[in-house]
Amino acid sequence: MIDLDAAGSAVALLAGSLDAWIWVIPGLLIGLVFGAMPGISVSMAMALVLPATLYMEFLPAIIFLTSVYTGAGFGGSVPAVLMNIPGTSSAVATTFDGYPMARAGKHNEALGLALVASCLGVLGSYIVLFVLVQPLAELVLRIGPFEMAAIAIWGMILLGSLGGKSLSRGLFAAGIGILIGTVGMNTAGYLRGTANIPELLDGVPTIPAMVGLLAASQLFGLVNTHFLVESEEDRQISLRRIIAGGMMTFRHPVTLIRGSMIGALVGAAPGVGSSISNLLSYAEARRASKDRDSFGKGNPEGVIASESANSSSEGGSMATMLALGIPGGGATAILLAAFAMHNVVGGPRFMDQNRDIVYAIILSNFAQAVLLLFVGTGFVFCASAIVRLPLRFLIPCVLVMATMGSFAIEGSIAGPATLFVFAVLGWLMSSAGYPVAAVVVGLLLGRLIETEMLRAWQLAGGDPAEVLNHPAAIGIILLMCLSLGVSAWQERRRRRAKDLIGVG
Amino acid sequence: MTLRRNAVSRRTLLAAAGGAALAAPATLRAQGAYPERPLTILVPFATGGYNDRYARAIAPFLQKHFGQPVVVQNRPGGSTMLGNMFYLQQPDDGYMVMVHSAGPFIPLSILTRNAQYKADDFWMINLPSRDSTLLACATNKPFNTVEEVIAQLKRDPRSISVGVQPASADLVNLALLMQGHGIDRSRMRIVTYDGGGPARTATMGGHVDVGFVGGEGFLPVKDRIRPLLAFADEKVDGFEETPLITDHAKAAGFADEFVDGSQRGFVVSKKFRDAAPERYRIMAQAIERATKDPECVTTLKGQQLATTWYGPEASNQAYLRSASLMEKYSDLLKQA
Repeated sequence: MIDLDAAGSAVALLAGSLDAWIWVIPGLLIGLVFGAMPGISVSMAMALVLPATLYMEFLPAIIFLTSVYTGAGFGGSVPAVLMNIPGTSSAVATTFDGYPMARAGKHNEALGLALVASCLGVLGSYIVLFVLVQPLAELVLRIGPFEMAAIAIWGMILLGSLGGKSLSRGLFAAGIGILIGTVGMNTAGYLRGTANIPELLDGVPTIPAMVGLLAASQLFGLVNTHFLVESEEDRQISLRRIIAGGMMTFRHPVTLIRGSMIGALVGAAPGVGSSISNLLSYAEARRASKDRDSFGKGNPEGVIASESANSSSEGGSMATMLALGIPGGGATAILLAAFAMHNVVGGPRFMDQNRDIVYAIILSNFAQAVLLLFVGTGFVFCASAIVRLPLRFLIPCVLVMATMGSFAIEGSIAGPATLFVFAVLGWLMSSAGYPVAAVVVGLLLGRLIETEMLRAWQLAGGDPAEVLNHPAAIGIILLMCLSLGVSAWQERRRRRAKDLIGVG
Repeated sequence: MTLRRNAVSRRTLLAAAGGAALAAPATLRAQGAYPERPLTILVPFATGGYNDRYARAIAPFLQKHFGQPVVVQNRPGGSTMLGNMFYLQQPDDGYMVMVHSAGPFIPLSILTRNAQYKADDFWMINLPSRDSTLLACATNKPFNTVEEVIAQLKRDPRSISVGVQPASADLVNLALLMQGHGIDRSRMRIVTYDGGGPARTATMGGHVDVGFVGGEGFLPVKDRIRPLLAFADEKVDGFEETPLITDHAKAAGFADEFVDGSQRGFVVSKKFRDAAPERYRIMAQAIERATKDPECVTTLKGQQLATTWYGPEASNQAYLRSASLMEKYSDLLKQA
């Protein structure tokens, strides 16, 4: 499957060109900074630098853009860990365990974990891409509405009760999220709940809503605290502890590999991408774990699961873009635009005729993953200085940044207005003991489930028996029931064992 | 409603001002150092789409012929409705022009999203790019011609699943084709996709048996689909072999009505043209010169972008024809 001649000339292409290298580190840094700003998503960071690539050669331009892609993919995790604000929608699940770790004084470790899991995720997905670009793309093309709906329902069931002490409150919060997610025009062209506000035609803007919900509920809760990290001696920034955290990643190889697989596959599915893959991977890690209760309270595995999946989505979406010419999401749409600006039509023909360039892009991404490790360590080291900042300065700064970021998305007041409304909602809900994270999950997954279910229904012409023609979807549902059954059984056995010990 | 009323009152005001200016051309010329500020190209889509690429590619040439810097601004959302509303609220000073898929997006936003402007509030300067709806299927599907698809649909409308975007020119074309053949659309299995990309993926991946979607996006993956019918009256670039709806309709004996998939290019507001005819003339001339600039033609051709100069008259005619056809069949649009 690897064309060795082409791989050889790809190496020559990269080795012989300084241009192909000088843009990597600036790209990573731009990505890190923009990704870390709440409100600026991966694709926005790339869109911002797209016009500049017009003046570069083709290969350096693409390498520059993929560097921004890689950098932004991780950048979003830094505020997710330190402040419970996902810098991009792909870092939502990172907040679930990353932030509790930071509050417990393990911010160094959490950031190190996130960084190493991200680098390995990028590396893993590009290795898959290097070996299996065509089969992966073909597989993804077969994922139709039935299969996608089944996957999304799986994620929803596993995450429904997330973070809440009471199941009913968790489900209620998830239901609210799903309802909010249905505002706007649905895939069949029906307008719902827009209240004649044109800004709501595309639905509630997800990123400001998410930042409002997660950040505000946290920040208001911190009003009486002086520092993010309570204990003085934990408030240090230590390179040694960041590295130690990074090493911890290797202790959970299964979570890492599973996350990367989920990320590569879900990231490759057009229209789904990294904002869903991190949630699914987190849900799976939580389900498979023996110590399920520690998730959401600072379990390192949660961070690994989320980060490996969101960064490996990059390789997945590159596979669909390179092999099929389909942009799976915003980021690859920008890359295809960059292709077009350089008189190159992305797609199967490009890949057949320019295998060396495709390999050069992939190889350069290997190098980017390694370089991210170093650039990222430096970035994380500087960024974690905010734990030393008294909260009375930090909270207003974060709120201003979040407002600016949400304004930047559309350049209109719709973003800040959404942020404000959802901040109030988030604060009300969290003070009443409802898990806001479940609202975010409902918001992100609800829309996907609705769209895919509707298409499945249309495809079946209203005949439920049609699902029998889609064995993969049935397989996913059966697997889901089986794994839920096994977990329930294990849970029961463990509780019985605990009872026995208690009695003994 | 308030917005609408404001627009009207301002238009009357500006028309009056325009009249005054015409009465005293010397004064106008005295202050008329137009253009004296940078020109903004407003693209009502996100970065990276056809319109965005077109705007950015032509910007340097427009800059040369306009004599002022040209910047591109994206304002996506609500299927261009947010960008359209924003544009109509700008002053008519000739420092902002849109690059837009005016047809079908402007009429569609009016017909399906209750936008509070009218199709002829906009004035086309040049619409060089035309995209046509293509009826296509994946190469592993058993259809080789459009006649086979129609014959099977006539036997059983439920036997074929069809992918299409709701509220789109593609849906109007689908409806007209089915109406022509007397096939009951409500009994068909129509699967809706919110965007041309997803509809194309579904067609190519064989999730649906056939798809009605803009042909241009299929070009990079031409080998993976079988084009069956093009909704155009002349050969479509890249799909020269594909039968045309005009011939198909003639053979089947129904009216060969269809709408253009996309008509893209430079758009201004009608009130700007009426209120500041001199500025409009300067702007249109700069766009014409940029479009015809040989260097620009080479650059744009290389990026697979259209460069033909049709001019305002032909462009408006094409746009309004497609808008009125869509209005005529607006009831077809409302039921996906």
